[in-house]
Amino acid sequence: MQQVLQNLIMALRASGVRISVSENIDAMNAVRLLGYDHRQRLKDSLSATLAKSQNETEIFETCFDRFFSLNNLSAPEKDTTFPQEIGPDEQDSLLGQMLLSGDQAGLSVSMRQTAAEIGITGIRFFTQKSLYIQRILRGMGIEDVDRNIKNLRRDESAYSFEKARVLKGARDQLFENVKDFVEQQYSLFAASVNEELLDKYLKRTSLSNLEKQDFARMRAIMKKMIKRLNDRHSRRRKSSKKGCLDLKKTLRANLAYQGTPFEPRWKSRKIDRPDIVALCDVSRSVEAMARFLLLFLYSLNEEVAKVRSFIFCSNLVEATHIFKEYGVEEALVRLHKGVGLGVMLGRTDYGQVFRDFKESWLDAVTNKTTVLILGDARNNYGDPEAGILKLLYKRSKRLLWLNPESPPFWGTGDSAMKTYLPYCSIVQKCTTVRHLERVVGSLLRTRAV
Amino acid sequence: MKLSYDNKFASIEDIQKGFGSIGYICSRQIATTLYLAFHLEKPILVEGPAGVGKTEVAKTAAIYLDKPLIRLQCYEGLDESKALYEWKYGKQLLYTQILKEKLNEILKDTKGLGPSISKLHQHDDIFFSTHFLEPRPLLSAIQSKEGAVLLVDEVDKSDQEFEAFLLEILSDFQVSVPEIGTIQATSKPFVFLTSNNTRELSEALKRRCLHLFIPFPDTKLEKEIIRVRVPDVSEDLRSQLVSFIQQVRKLDLKKLPSVSETIDWAKVLVLLHSSALDPELIKETLNIFLKFEDDIDIVNEHLYQLVDKSKREGTMY
Repeated sequence: MQQVLQNLIMALRASGVRISVSENIDAMNAVRLLGYDHRQRLKDSLSATLAKSQNETEIFETCFDRFFSLNNLSAPEKDTTFPQEIGPDEQDSLLGQMLLSGDQAGLSVSMRQTAAEIGITGIRFFTQKSLYIQRILRGMGIEDVDRNIKNLRRDESAYSFEKARVLKGARDQLFENVKDFVEQQYSLFAASVNEELLDKYLKRTSLSNLEKQDFARMRAIMKKMIKRLNDRHSRRRKSSKKGCLDLKKTLRANLAYQGTPFEPRWKSRKIDRPDIVALCDVSRSVEAMARFLLLFLYSLNEEVAKVRSFIFCSNLVEATHIFKEYGVEEALVRLHKGVGLGVMLGRTDYGQVFRDFKESWLDAVTNKTTVLILGDARNNYGDPEAGILKLLYKRSKRLLWLNPESPPFWGTGDSAMKTYLPYCSIVQKCTTVRHLERVVGSLLRTRAV
Repeated sequence: MKLSYDNKFASIEDIQKGFGSIGYICSRQIATTLYLAFHLEKPILVEGPAGVGKTEVAKTAAIYLDKPLIRLQCYEGLDESKALYEWKYGKQLLYTQILKEKLNEILKDTKGLGPSISKLHQHDDIFFSTHFLEPRPLLSAIQSKEGAVLLVDEVDKSDQEFEAFLLEILSDFQVSVPEIGTIQATSKPFVFLTSNNTRELSEALKRRCLHLFIPFPDTKLEKEIIRVRVPDVSEDLRSQLVSFIQQVRKLDLKKLPSVSETIDWAKVLVLLHSSALDPELIKETLNIFLKFEDDIDIVNEHLYQLVDKSKREGTMY
């Protein structure tokens, strides 16, 4: 029975519940205490010891049900027109006997045993399914049955012919059953492994090449990434909190001890939260990218405390409230189309954008602010207004520019990237999630880059 | 602790019955987890929405086991000196003052600094002994002779560092005080941790605990809870109000009404001598289980519909 538990744990791990050795031991102890004989009780106790969050509990429940679903093998319907009862005799192989007598329980046991022997838990890819089906069938002794059928057909008597027909029917049914079983095992042990692969692939692909259907998954990846980075850096902020001796507080606290400073009090530095002003290009030249840049901004808005977001094309408008008010899908459509924001989707004009910013929102940038610009710097040969960018650069803690184009294209044609380059702390090519990840890391780091 | 309490935790049904007799109706899942935690001597991490009785489980367990409940409320900035132990600085100071002359006496014969120090060393760490140790909740739970129920409330509110520091207690039931050494629990406390999921807890902490998620109760369970908690409420009204609350929970609200709020509402309705749900009355008492103006508006919109449906369902059961 222990092997069963280990297999269940393997299936759980494959579906993304991480289970440590100590939890494994707990589960075994729990099972020893409560036994296997009560399904609901077993489920409850394993759920308590193995699944450690609401999400994991849900995964556990489906996994448990799927794992312990004893799908009764379907039997072929009996054809009663033949007068003589067809039964197994000594010459039939073990499998043949079971098939003929309709011993579904025996077949099920034999199938599971064979599956365990050939290591069905190792299945990873859907292309392996037919391989495993063949292996199981062969392991159960299908070859003997096939030979038997062939022999029976060669025989001329009506009985043999009918027997061959029945046997063939049962054999085909068995094939279907094994197929279902392998299918089920595949979904148990392999499903999420492939998801992991997909995640990995998505992280590396260029954002502009991503399809709409991958969008939700992308969002999950981004959210996870930003949250993780935020967590890590918020912790670091705390550890650097302790400063020097706070004389006033120490004196006050130690009045009770005649002023002898028994309890020193320390100054605590104010927590330095990342403060971000983000400007995102939504013009046509970055159309394919914009969706993901906006998604990135959206996730940033959710996790990091202080973000002001702007979008621009021919002019600049603030969009922070959109991120706060709407769900991700709705917000992205609104931002992309500029619904109700008053953004003009004409020719991209970085000069105008910077002028707009200087006029209305310059106050938002302080020496603690990180300015983040997402765009290709294709200015349609207008005045780049690099002076204002310089001003921003000087006012802010640092200025990051994420460009969806790769460096060789910077400064070619109407790109003003080269003009802006001196006034940016970092300019980075940003086409995949990996690039974004690096940027978020530097965004959240409190000390200047 | 096992021997004397074994019969109380002999089976899952016993726990359910025992808790029920003190006024806590627990689902099968809760009882199973309690049973496992007791026999495996593992802490329980309780999660779930606010007001479903996370803290109440621990309190009831303390009453059921007839042991003191030691509660540690977590908050941001909670540290060792508030959770575990602290030196009694005042007492140390006072004693050194009082014993000044004694010290002089002891050191009278010695000449020079070296001999005085070595003489003092004979009396070693008298000022850093258990007498000067102020036990905080965690230490007192460990030290308690007859065992205790330790409730670490809202762990997610504490800092990550504090979480790491709980690990020693949770896995080994021991505490290390640098000046004294390791203090081992004489009888292991029954530990509950609750979390509202404001942040993800660390893997290490989760690994050491059994996990219990308490969702909002279903209609049957909630009715049972109301029956035990507010016995004065009539059968009809109980069915109706529970079905009403269950429906409200399906609406898109900022904060869903919790079990404790259902109980409060039931109490209020009893006070107002109502025997059946009445839309006007509900309108006036909505603020008991809804805590946001927006939520009240939403429920008001659907009020008649909800009342109708809950009346129908209420009589059905």
